[in-house]
Amino acid sequence: MEADTTTINKEVQRDTDFQSAEVWAKVTGRAVYGIDLSFPGMLHGRILRSPHPHARIKNIDLSAAAAVPGVRAVLAGKDLQCKPYGIVIDDELPLAVDRVRYIGDEIAAVAAVDEKTAERALKAIRVEYELLPAVFTPAEALSEKAPLLHDHFPGNIAWQRILERGNPQVSFREADVVVESSFSIPSVHPGYLEPIACVAISDRYNGLVLHTALQSPDMVRQIIAGVLAMPLSRVRIVGPVMGGGFGGRVYGNLKLYIISALLAVQTGAPVKMQLTREEEFTVGRPMVAAEVKLKMALRRDGTILAREADIITDNGAYSAQAPWVSKTLSERNDSVYRIPNIRTRVRLIYTNKVPTGQYRAYGNQAANFASESLMDMAAKKLGMDPLELRLKNCTQAGDVTVHGLQVKSCALADCLRAAAAEIGWGDKKEGRGYGISAAIHANGSIVFDQDFRGASAQARLELDGRVTLLTGEQDYGQGTHAAFAQIAARALGLSPEKITVYSRDTAVTPFSLGALAMRQTTIGGRAIQLAAENLREKIIHAASDLAAEPVLMDGGMVRSASGSLFDLSVIANFHHSRTSGLVLVGDGQFVPPRSDYDQTGYGNISVTYSFAAHAAEVEIDRATGALTVLRIVAAHDSGHILNLTSARGQVLGGVAQGLGLSCYEGYLFDEGWVANASLVDYKMPTALDIPAIEALFIEYADPEGPYGSKGLGEIVQVPVPGAVANAVADAAGDWVRDLPITAEKIYQAIFGWECAE
Amino acid sequence: MSYLVASNIEQALTSLREREGRARVVAGATDLFLEELPAHLIDLTVIPETTLIEEKDGFISIGAAVTHTAAALSPVVCSGAAALAEACSQLGSPQVRNIGTVGGNVVNAAPAADAAVALVALGAGVLLVDTAGGKREEAVENLYAGYNRSVIDSTSEIMLRLIIRVTDREEGSAFIRFASRKALSLPMVNAAARVRVTDGFLQEVRLVAAPAGPAPTRLRQTEEMLYGKTPSEGTWAEVEASAAKEVEVRGSLLRCSEQYRRHLVGILSARVLRKAAERAIESREGESR
Amino acid sequence: MKKQLISFQLNNEQVEILCDPAESLLHVLRVQLGLYGTKEGCSRGECGACTVLFDGRAVNSCLVPAGKVQGHSIRTIEGLSRGENIDYIQEAFVEKGAVQCGFCTPGMVMSAHALLKNNPDPTAVEVRLAISGNLCRCTGYKQIEEAILSAAIKLKEKEEPD
Repeated sequence: MEADTTTINKEVQRDTDFQSAEVWAKVTGRAVYGIDLSFPGMLHGRILRSPHPHARIKNIDLSAAAAVPGVRAVLAGKDLQCKPYGIVIDDELPLAVDRVRYIGDEIAAVAAVDEKTAERALKAIRVEYELLPAVFTPAEALSEKAPLLHDHFPGNIAWQRILERGNPQVSFREADVVVESSFSIPSVHPGYLEPIACVAISDRYNGLVLHTALQSPDMVRQIIAGVLAMPLSRVRIVGPVMGGGFGGRVYGNLKLYIISALLAVQTGAPVKMQLTREEEFTVGRPMVAAEVKLKMALRRDGTILAREADIITDNGAYSAQAPWVSKTLSERNDSVYRIPNIRTRVRLIYTNKVPTGQYRAYGNQAANFASESLMDMAAKKLGMDPLELRLKNCTQAGDVTVHGLQVKSCALADCLRAAAAEIGWGDKKEGRGYGISAAIHANGSIVFDQDFRGASAQARLELDGRVTLLTGEQDYGQGTHAAFAQIAARALGLSPEKITVYSRDTAVTPFSLGALAMRQTTIGGRAIQLAAENLREKIIHAASDLAAEPVLMDGGMVRSASGSLFDLSVIANFHHSRTSGLVLVGDGQFVPPRSDYDQTGYGNISVTYSFAAHAAEVEIDRATGALTVLRIVAAHDSGHILNLTSARGQVLGGVAQGLGLSCYEGYLFDEGWVANASLVDYKMPTALDIPAIEALFIEYADPEGPYGSKGLGEIVQVPVPGAVANAVADAAGDWVRDLPITAEKIYQAIFGWECAE
Repeated sequence: MSYLVASNIEQALTSLREREGRARVVAGATDLFLEELPAHLIDLTVIPETTLIEEKDGFISIGAAVTHTAAALSPVVCSGAAALAEACSQLGSPQVRNIGTVGGNVVNAAPAADAAVALVALGAGVLLVDTAGGKREEAVENLYAGYNRSVIDSTSEIMLRLIIRVTDREEGSAFIRFASRKALSLPMVNAAARVRVTDGFLQEVRLVAAPAGPAPTRLRQTEEMLYGKTPSEGTWAEVEASAAKEVEVRGSLLRCSEQYRRHLVGILSARVLRKAAERAIESREGESR
Repeated sequence: MKKQLISFQLNNEQVEILCDPAESLLHVLRVQLGLYGTKEGCSRGECGACTVLFDGRAVNSCLVPAGKVQGHSIRTIEGLSRGENIDYIQEAFVEKGAVQCGFCTPGMVMSAHALLKNNPDPTAVEVRLAISGNLCRCTGYKQIEEAILSAAIKLKEKEEPD
């Protein structure tokens, strides 16, 4: 690994702050989001949902609903011939047939001429339920007398794993110091501001077209085609502009898309469906909640010998991608430090609550909160500076971590030092609390599928000399497409303004896993670089045919040996006419070598890893426990930063989300019912709640990423709760071990009173 | 459903009378719009007298349709009824404050409605007219029939204005709220106070903390305890204990436990009284220069 | 459902529409008038995505009954830039990287307009207060704050003679 720049780039304004032209459409209110879509003859769909957390459906009577004037279709589960489907475990049906398992479970659907009519029709549907005993926590679900939520899953355990490396038992026996604690992280909603919306259009001739914004349209398309038993090529997904994703739109709300499609097939008309904000909280899929029991063994000098974890994750009523999230949650964080002995048990438990899904960083932030808090507890017990403890143990470039991750570039130690220096670690102010945390995240992950571990892209030279990039990687404002334009511009010697990125039509764009696992910059970007370079070769080749002599390409122009200049549109037209219609298209495939990932979960899962360290400075009002976060310094190792404006935007936004998770957010359940299902009770930070946030980028060129860059988009959130929790502990004297860290909990931490309720 | 934007009070009353209980008056509509709407709405907000703020003969008159923003920015309210200006500047969000009204905050009868809490502490009253030709004044404190139920019948009565006696040179008022987020948040606890400090001693203390029952409730035992005491750290410590003990609170899943809420009432009561007393003393000192 | 004739000023034009007065202004703008630039995030006045100017004041259009609009002046995001003349606040938002997914953007821009109209030289704290009713999940608000402060500078420069 070579050092590209060893200076720390502190928010320096560069030329590389290019943005996609789409920002103009957004800022003038002309961008069309899913929720804005309208088509001629469009119907509106609404879903009838179970009011009970667990019940048998004895009878459903749709006749009155079908008779409501303006209703064009009514559907119940028994009318469908769909097999169970899922993302990991096939445990869901589009509409429940004989059993409902959470408040909100989809039972029936109607399509009508407008929303009010659809609502009226829903009210006319008669359902007879037989209530069943329900379980609302993993503890209840695991107990002896618990009802079984799904056949074939005894104990309501949807997935479990024991991961063991080395010999932790020996380490714990031989350790000088052992620390242990338990932590809990609630379900949180990704919080995208645009509610999920879609329009499904189906006919015998064109198949199904689903208009909806997705982070992974190709993955969703495959599932829909499977559930509807349609040939894949007859299912097309076209993306409007996306009003936020953060993991929540990777699979989005599959139920909504499938039900819209079924109604569209039934009626022959476009059917629009969307979730209300309340439904986003009651049936949209929040991140898996987790309870983490953690134990760590260390030597007196601070060397970590072993770590043991017992993790329970809350599945909700159906699995979706929760098994994968649980997997990441239970292993990713182990590679932040050099820990030779590990034992982790993780169990994913079905409960009668809203099914859980994914959120930016895929559970890594939950595990990080627990492990980084425990690190500081260890530091306290050892009488050691928490920064020094981390520097002593942190992963370094060239390491192969305990789970086999091959770390090609790593500036974690630099990040720790930089964050600490900037927050004033060596000069702490009286009455304030300071905390620090460290994190790792993969750049794409083969854990779920070895195939498609890479990416492909195309770069097309248009007749006007501009270039169009065709990619399946999605941009919803993170700056992915701008970065791609910059990468292609660099490869071709053009200015980024000449480059258009096209990604939102599965009929046209290359397959991609999409915006997940922080893979788009590194893996998607490399494919773009290769496609652009391939196009460059093809341009030179065609140009040399045109010139009938050798040529060079420089500054977006082609120059022949004898000095003639050709601009790209001339070459494009030349090729177009000689082939009777073709244009020059460069292909790029970036496929990393196959991984040695094995049955025990050991192996290199990604081409490279990003690192970060965050430091927090806080103040506590001791009379009330009220917390003021004064500053967060976020130091990031994401290789060479391609676009500083969007990189800074990712840090500022990601840290704000991390603060939400740390101090404000979390589902509150009351017997399976979401008690805070509104934006006033589910509190995301407002502009008045955000502290000063500084982004520091430690730039060492990474050998894998395009022009030395690595992913940033997910890791930005990961270290925040740990940094804040440690700062709070520093100020209050003890840790708050369950998120969110509220004033009441801090007050309890200071004064140790047990809450009466 | 019909919506009438009334041009004067007589027109509004006539319309209410004609609809025989199926119409109600509305000002900002921000609270109303989230509930089931009645058949007819009569909007008061363009009637000139409902948006006036005036000070006359030691009293501030605030039209029922004065927005929270207008009240918060009014120099008359800021100097003569500081607690109300503070409450109106912090509740909800700028968008809600720009169209929601002080009068509406009272009529909506939420137990911890910020403006109403300040108004009760200030000892404010309202002027009501009704469809039978009647006219009456009532203390805001007495306008609560139950949780989220006003004594005012919006199908037959119209609140014309709120009336507040200006805090004179020996008086001060203050408002404080505690919420988990700095905007768009209902309070865990809010508190307001109006005090008179004469020759260095507390007199005429009005202290309100909420939510502590269906209406913004005065902590009368604590008020009585303070009579004749000096504004000092020792006194405020006593208030912390007294207010926490006196108040009747409930815990809630969404906000906080009963124990913590009780503790907050103690702390916030002391803080709001300290602030009100400081203002009373400053006002007195300002006068004597 | 009885419809009423409502006449009001919309983006500096006098308009007259027939609608259910109980419908929200947001619905009327988006569905009846096809002005989809004002966004619907929650329909409860809790996110600010639907912010429009009502007589120059920033309000949540989801909480304004259409009937209330009679005789008033409404301004939406569509009423800012006209053809080549890009609104100075919109320009600042783009320059400062304040637009990511863009869903909160129209509401933010309208709140910024209301602020700078009344307070052309705001402090950073005043800017944050002005947008405190507009939720954003992408940006963490900082670049939006910087955009609005930058717009204030543009405003000053426009007004000061060279």
